[in-house]
Amino acid sequence: MTTTSMDTMTAMPDAASDERVATKRRLPKLGVTFGVLWLGTLIFLAVFADFMPFIRGYGQSLDGATNTRFGPGIDFWFGSDTLGRDVFARCIYGARTSLTIASASILVGTVVGGTLGMVAGYFKGWVDRVISIFTDSLLALPAIIIASLLVGRFDVLADSDIKFLGFGFGWMSRTWSVTIVFSLLSIAPVARIVRAQTLSLSQREYVLAARSLGASTRRVLWREIVPNVIPALTAVIFTGIAILLAAEGGLAFLGYSVPRPPSWGSMIADDRDKIEEAWWTSIFPCFMLFFTVLAFNLIGDRLARRFDIREAAL
Amino acid sequence: MSADRLSVRHDDGEPLLQVAELRTHFRTPRGMVRAVDGVTFTLERGKALGVVGESGSGKTVLARTVMGLLPKRNVNTSGSVRFGGVEMLGLPQRQMRELWGTEMAMVFQDPMSSLNPLMKVGKQITEPLRFHMGMGKSDSIATAERLLRDVRIPEPRRRLNQYPHELSGGMRQRVMIAIALACGPNLLFADEPTTALDVTVQSQILDLIAEQRRDRNMAVILVTHDLGVVANYTDEIAVMYAGRLVEKAPTRTLFSNMKMPYTKALLRSIPKLNLPSHTRLDTIPGRPPDLVHPPRGCRFAPRCANARDRCTEEEPPLLAADSDDHTYACWYPVGSPEYREREEQLKRLDDRRVLAAEEAG
Repeated sequence: MTTTSMDTMTAMPDAASDERVATKRRLPKLGVTFGVLWLGTLIFLAVFADFMPFIRGYGQSLDGATNTRFGPGIDFWFGSDTLGRDVFARCIYGARTSLTIASASILVGTVVGGTLGMVAGYFKGWVDRVISIFTDSLLALPAIIIASLLVGRFDVLADSDIKFLGFGFGWMSRTWSVTIVFSLLSIAPVARIVRAQTLSLSQREYVLAARSLGASTRRVLWREIVPNVIPALTAVIFTGIAILLAAEGGLAFLGYSVPRPPSWGSMIADDRDKIEEAWWTSIFPCFMLFFTVLAFNLIGDRLARRFDIREAAL
Repeated sequence: MSADRLSVRHDDGEPLLQVAELRTHFRTPRGMVRAVDGVTFTLERGKALGVVGESGSGKTVLARTVMGLLPKRNVNTSGSVRFGGVEMLGLPQRQMRELWGTEMAMVFQDPMSSLNPLMKVGKQITEPLRFHMGMGKSDSIATAERLLRDVRIPEPRRRLNQYPHELSGGMRQRVMIAIALACGPNLLFADEPTTALDVTVQSQILDLIAEQRRDRNMAVILVTHDLGVVANYTDEIAVMYAGRLVEKAPTRTLFSNMKMPYTKALLRSIPKLNLPSHTRLDTIPGRPPDLVHPPRGCRFAPRCANARDRCTEEEPPLLAADSDDHTYACWYPVGSPEYREREEQLKRLDDRRVLAAEEAG
């Protein structure tokens, strides 16, 4: 803006400085473009892995070969592990597991935490107190310790004959238990952010205006608060997925991994002792994890910044 | 819902709104804030009442209390608000909702923040129509378009599909007015509707409200801090100070015969075009009093040039002036011998100061 007005004033448009401004503006988009491309490709491959001719089965070993371990090459893009399984294929299937766990957990966390936060922020008073105490206590728990503890208990539960309301727990695989634990852990941060947002939004004049036109509480919450919380929430969701992806890796490192199909965390954990002989078996899932977390963070950041600007323009 | 439908009456001779001894007190950690402290007035159908006062004099709280928009927590209200023969104070929200929008509506101060930024303008107008009036989709859109045309928005059809940020401030305030008028309320609160707008748009908006008031025979309560604003657009003016009504009169009477020194001071603080440039604007010294511990006696006394001992000891009652509809609360009103005496003293003092300044300079 300033540049343009300066230009018109001096009547000497400086092409070079104009261009610099333009490129400066374009730069941040690189990160987001990378993020979207990376995630798009990854999700596409993960979803359609079964139909892709170039992706082998994740558990499939090479038949009849004596030496099963290959480095990265034309046949095995990311190499193969000790059992002759294609690391690339496992990475793709790993994306499926890791992304499912992370996004399912954040979904539950958003729905439950979002509802709690909104109720607390809108109604205030003792409702807010109760919910805040609950979320604060959840936040006070050391997440990774609680997670490993709970997953361990769930394993015992799944193997036992204990029945709850007539249902056993045999269905509860590691995927399920990790998802459940991560869902629980993601409730509190989301609730907190949504509560803060709702607190400030409910003081906005348009909420009062809607009330003064006879809108019911439910209507105010759904039509006035929820749409305005969503921008901030999307940013939180993306960052949250990134954190959960990394946390899943951490959990796998502690031995509470998802074996089949393997998550990235479990691939890294399983093969980390072979890094001397076959670095590719653990480095590639590391890269996958790294770039995916980065992609989510970049997109999350971008969204946060974007909505901040919009918010500031209100 | 229909079983306990409120029977608001609009046919008999009763005034539309009767407010009596209304008090709104906020419980705060510092103590009780007496934001509105015993306000009484009536408003007839189709009339416009201006509520004038400084910031913090309780104008907005008064409007919100009458409308029932204040939160319940930490708020004490007492007195009586009768709307169309129905006592409104203490009605549950559920019943108030039936009145909001259809019987009374409010236009807020800041058009920038009183529209939902994520909802298209059309949606925001049609929602109350469909909700309160049970209109169908096409009906409500047609009505919304007509409403936007009523409030002089060009290309109403196109505006319906725009978001608030695509409209200017004045335009947004027009949209707010259109929304408030949508369900044909009998009483419109306009809470400083022009404060956030620039001067050229101000009169347009006020003209619009006045025009709609005539067309719909709707009563208007115009809350503002600007006596100049209310002068042309109201039938009656109530001046508030520190939560109380200090003077109330028909607009014409008030301007020709104001009794309360505060009203006079307010009027004097408005810049006038016929004064030479660089004339120092008369201000009211000091600040509005702390509403937790309001001063003893007349609340304006500490800032009043004409205050005497009696003012700081006894609180003046609301007295009737020449006519019954002109009331004021002052021991030594404008025009009284004591007031004139003090005026002259002050003037002499001023002259002496000017003389001294001239001699020195």
